Amino acid sequence: MPVKRDNLLEKYSAKLYKNRKEHIVQLDGEDAKIAANTRAVPGVMTARGCCYAGCKGVVVGPLKDVCVITHGPIGCSFYSWGTRRNKARVEEGEQNFTSYCFSTDMQESDIVFGGEKKLEKAIDEAVALFHPKCVMICSTCPIGLIGDDVQAVAKRAEKKHGIKAIGFSCEGYKGVSQSAGHHIANNGLMREIIGTGDRAPENIFSVNILGEYNIGGDGWEEERLLKRCGIEVVSIFTGDGSYESLQNAHLAKLNIVMCHRSINYIAEMIKEKYGIDWIKVNFIGVKATIRSLREIAKYFGDPALVERVEEVIADELSLIEDEMESIRLKLAGKTAGIFSGGSRSHHYQMLLADLGMETVIAGYEFAHRDDYEGREVIPFIKEDADNRNIEVLRIQKDEGMYRKFHSPEKMEVLKDEIELDRYGGMMRDMDAGDIVVDDYNHFETDELIKGVKPDIFFSGIKDKHSIQKAGVVSRQMHSYDYSGPYAGFNGAVIFGRDVAMALCTNAWTLVKPPWHDEPMLVGELTGGESHA
Amino acid sequence: MSNLVNINVNPCKMCMPMGAAMAIAGFKGAMSILHGSQGCATYIRRHMATHFNEPIDIASSALSEEGAVFGGEKNLQKGLDNLIKMYHPQVIGVCSTCLAETIGEDLKAMIKRFHEKNPGSGASIIDVSSPGYGGTQNEGFFRALRAIVEQTVSGAPHKAREGGLINIVAPMISPADTRWLKSFLNEAGVRSILIPDISDNLDGVAQKRYERLKSGGTPLSDVMRMKSAEITLEFSEFISEKDSPGAFLRDAFGVPLLRLPLPTGLRGMDRFIDILCAYGGKISAEHAKERGRYLDAMADSHKANAKARAAVFGDPDFVKGIVSLCCENGAVPVLAATGSACAGFKRALGGEIEKCAQNAFAEGFEIADDCDFSTIEHFCGKLGANIMIGSSDGRRAAGRLGIDLIRRGFPIHDHVGGQRTRTLGFDGSLGMLDEISNSMLSRTEENFRRVIYNEHFKPLKEISKKERLESHPCFSGCASQNARIHLPVAPKCNIQCGYCKRSFDCPNESRPGAASKVLSPNEALERYKRFKKNCKNLTVAGIAGPGDALANFDDTRETIRLIKGCDPQVMLCLSTNGLMLPIYAAELIKLGVGHMTVTVNTVDPSVGAKIISYADFLGRRFTGEAAAGLLIANQLSGIKMASEMGAVIKVNCVALKGINDGCIEEVSKKASELGAYMVNIMPHIPIKGSQLECLEKMSVGELEALRTTCEPFARQMRHCRQCSADAAGTLDMDFFSASEERSAHQEFDTENTKRFAVASKSGIIVDQHFGHAEEFLIFDSDGASSRFVERRKISRYCGGAECDEEGKWAKILKALSDCDGVLAVRIGHAPEEKLRASGIVPIRACERIEGAVAAAAGSLREAESASAL
Repeated sequence: MPVKRDNLLEKYSAKLYKNRKEHIVQLDGEDAKIAANTRAVPGVMTARGCCYAGCKGVVVGPLKDVCVITHGPIGCSFYSWGTRRNKARVEEGEQNFTSYCFSTDMQESDIVFGGEKKLEKAIDEAVALFHPKCVMICSTCPIGLIGDDVQAVAKRAEKKHGIKAIGFSCEGYKGVSQSAGHHIANNGLMREIIGTGDRAPENIFSVNILGEYNIGGDGWEEERLLKRCGIEVVSIFTGDGSYESLQNAHLAKLNIVMCHRSINYIAEMIKEKYGIDWIKVNFIGVKATIRSLREIAKYFGDPALVERVEEVIADELSLIEDEMESIRLKLAGKTAGIFSGGSRSHHYQMLLADLGMETVIAGYEFAHRDDYEGREVIPFIKEDADNRNIEVLRIQKDEGMYRKFHSPEKMEVLKDEIELDRYGGMMRDMDAGDIVVDDYNHFETDELIKGVKPDIFFSGIKDKHSIQKAGVVSRQMHSYDYSGPYAGFNGAVIFGRDVAMALCTNAWTLVKPPWHDEPMLVGELTGGESHA
Repeated sequence: MSNLVNINVNPCKMCMPMGAAMAIAGFKGAMSILHGSQGCATYIRRHMATHFNEPIDIASSALSEEGAVFGGEKNLQKGLDNLIKMYHPQVIGVCSTCLAETIGEDLKAMIKRFHEKNPGSGASIIDVSSPGYGGTQNEGFFRALRAIVEQTVSGAPHKAREGGLINIVAPMISPADTRWLKSFLNEAGVRSILIPDISDNLDGVAQKRYERLKSGGTPLSDVMRMKSAEITLEFSEFISEKDSPGAFLRDAFGVPLLRLPLPTGLRGMDRFIDILCAYGGKISAEHAKERGRYLDAMADSHKANAKARAAVFGDPDFVKGIVSLCCENGAVPVLAATGSACAGFKRALGGEIEKCAQNAFAEGFEIADDCDFSTIEHFCGKLGANIMIGSSDGRRAAGRLGIDLIRRGFPIHDHVGGQRTRTLGFDGSLGMLDEISNSMLSRTEENFRRVIYNEHFKPLKEISKKERLESHPCFSGCASQNARIHLPVAPKCNIQCGYCKRSFDCPNESRPGAASKVLSPNEALERYKRFKKNCKNLTVAGIAGPGDALANFDDTRETIRLIKGCDPQVMLCLSTNGLMLPIYAAELIKLGVGHMTVTVNTVDPSVGAKIISYADFLGRRFTGEAAAGLLIANQLSGIKMASEMGAVIKVNCVALKGINDGCIEEVSKKASELGAYMVNIMPHIPIKGSQLECLEKMSVGELEALRTTCEPFARQMRHCRQCSADAAGTLDMDFFSASEERSAHQEFDTENTKRFAVASKSGIIVDQHFGHAEEFLIFDSDGASSRFVERRKISRYCGGAECDEEGKWAKILKALSDCDGVLAVRIGHAPEEKLRASGIVPIRACERIEGAVAAAAGSLREAESASAL
């Protein structure tokens, strides 16, 4: 396979080349190193968002019974209004604020004279109108600069209204991407919410699903599967999650982690404080789902549970096998590129493999080295000015609540059998010759498509249209193009159908990428296959 | 409801950099870079890409914490350098953001230094000051246009104008509308320079090779020529001078500026065409035909359009264009709303909408700037909007309201084709009009048979006793959301009770001391219809005086017939002293009266003689125990007859301390035995001038003890509100209180009105202490008559229970800022001073609101004219 990485980099100036070459890796079968979580290059179209987007948009936004107020001028709140397709259903007698957008709509005078008073009154109004149990305040760029103390306002609001109020200093410029916002949100949830409830799970096997944002209903599908197996879901961070359920998260027996990037802080902090172990799971893909379910069962170690899980797997498989096979016939041998935030690019490779497809390009917007290379690199990650500014909580063991499910000896045994308290990263699951790009930009996306010519490219709205203009099918991995769920057994079929439909639609027989141009008979509509 | 003061719930606006980036996209070879954190660019790219279905490249200087603290020049220089190396743009718009403006970045100086360091960059770099807190996308859009013109056009004013050259400045219109505008100008033979031209750049074609730098847009060389044009036409009447490119060209180069509405609808187009013709344009025969087609369609669909009650929202100029199109077609824009703070908005739209609303019998309309979607949704519900026109953010409200949303403007995120929506030109207007008409026709098609059938032909449904109990607020209790209306058609009474004074309503049934205006049966029907329209949960119509319903039986019967004829499903209810009940019971049942309230104060004639002084029965006056005996006998037999015939009976009993309190238990037993459903033991409220004026009032505890004693014999009512004879609404909320409605249709001198805030609990008389009022009723009066305007809650203006005294005052004054006076039963000294200091006259009053307000207005005007002399 020709080396495509160098073709990609050659167009850059010397300075830019120096920066970007560390972020672009062509795998060669050995353990690879990549630069990640460093500042984006100004002037290139990075796909990255900001700290506020990570805190409000990703982590706390989906909490349905929380009134999340954006403190700042109007834009940021508007742009983060319903743009992640998290689904949430209303609990009996409870409220669902996920379709609302609250902003303090700061004006010039508020920037000059400070916005604390306005924020305080905005909370008063929100409480009077909506009676939320919990209010969260997310700060945008100007807040830290003008010196508004959102934490102090939150404390005063708690006293005044007798509700929970949490301030997040997630100003857009903090850190280098959304990732900083995840960390700040994780800290706030850990400090203020987790451990404040006392509703113990009813079932002896209970889990929290961490890093599942219920895009397209993925969380619901996972919950359905787990319930079928006899495992209780105490809380979900945070898709279809709620303040109420997060309060009781410390009473679950095990944490299962979907999106490692956005939530690993909480997994680790809960482990330190309450002794709860975590395992990295992946419900995207049939084989991945089976592996995840088996590992959960193995962790609990109950023979009846193990048996039940096998029954469920067999039954669910029997329901999808035929359709998966027919989809595989259409998709086998196709190649894919996938760029997503910080975990999906790894998850979806498993599902694409189930469908007989190969992932040849993968990249992340805001992942850290551990997401690419595995958690064992964490001690070796260099701290820089940007990540030093993000607070690391000091966690102390909660002597009253701390408990271990397994003895240290048993843990040693289990560690060899399941992915316990660790994560191996994405690159190990990829093949030699594949290209991995960190903090990919618009230019590189275009060049990669021209150079690697994948059949389908999974990314987001910002590059979707240029990919399609290049004649390549695009599906949005952030919003699922309103489809889903893609998780679990049923989700695999839905995803497969979506991909097959996209690749085989007649439309793409007429809109062709340039390299498919010459031998085609223009204008002929064929029945199914896209490229003769 | 006005906008909340501090929280924006579901915003109807975006920020300045968004608008700036969109405007810059309309220039040839142009790209923008936002100086701030990278999230701004990412969010804006995402929103524009979803709307236009196009790749959107907006760069960012990607400031991090270091940049925020020490300044971001290094990042911006690097960003410009990279942008130029990778994309080779000819024009770069550098737009500031909240972050850059808050830390005070000097864009001009930075750009100057960039040019010094990179002399051969080949790019014109424009700086745009667009802080997110400085305005909405609309202001950002124009500010970017102005910046481009200001920083491109230079040199001395041209002496000779380029003959026939017209500058056109467009607000945010779609690429498709831009294409139309260009081709229209072209076909009219007008030479023009259009800024911005997003027709190709934001609506590209599928290409063999995708070009990163878009080839469309207005070239800067054209922008340079704008100074020599004969005139600038700016399709915005609202943007401020300082953000107007046309104003710059006028002030700096003497190019005349004409601001005009968007060419939407007949009048917008005619105006545009007139101007083009004045500058040498010619309208082709084909375009003349298009005008004819539009006129033809106006006539074809006017009946459907007249049913439309549209809520239009978006940028001010867009809203004005659509409002104009709606109005000329008789579709009433009951709500015109914009998220921008726009001073001239109300004034510019009011006259036209008012006229249209009157012609189409629409009851009301609202024009609101600085408006969020929670407010828009509220008004849509209140004003009965049946269609929304605007961006896709209206979809949530439209979904909840069950009405159509015609997607126009920006952003459209849930449909494809945002870049192809049309509102300009005859054809664009016509497409839009068809959508409005068709939405109305679909509604009619779905509903009209059912509506007409239900209104005129549906057979009466037997209403079971259970249903009757559940849907009558007096029987189903406090929690009831069912509303009732009392129709005051019965002024006369046939007995004289000791606690009653004839000049007021009957205290058996009504709030003591209040007097209702008596209505004729036809007036009662009109009031019923008006109320029914506004109150979907109206289930009961009742006649409760002001005298005795059965002492005025002809009017009572006529009223019942009229109401029943207009609304066969309504439940009818009536209250009486029972003297005539045996005579009319059968007829009442036949008329459909299902609920009756009979006031029985005693079943012992010797006690009764102490309560009533006489009874007039069939032309004879009985007095003393004979009167009491007759009344009791008729009450008891009447209750038995009516309840046997299926009516639900409530027995009212006025507890008179020392007179009948000993025999109320007996009343309860008897009532229950005869089939009454419940007994309502009411407190006696002493009325000045009545015979029992001095009787001590029974305490709440005593009353409760009485009810408990009687509980074993009969169901007790504990939620009685002692409503007035003209009450309307639910028990807890006389929301459409009759006083509001009474004054709604009076002749009114709108020129010389005074506005008053009234402290009133009842909504009928001024009966509250200023300091106790949680809300004020706002009335306007010209001195002769008065008109209810709205209710204002102080809590809306005051930030909660612990709001400090000073803060609360500020809020009260804010709430009352447009009032000339305040009416209350009493006002403390300090507040009185404060009100006076703010130019609000405090007035003590205790009579009916309308009268008090009119009198106050009269005296204020007198005082004014006296001081003027």
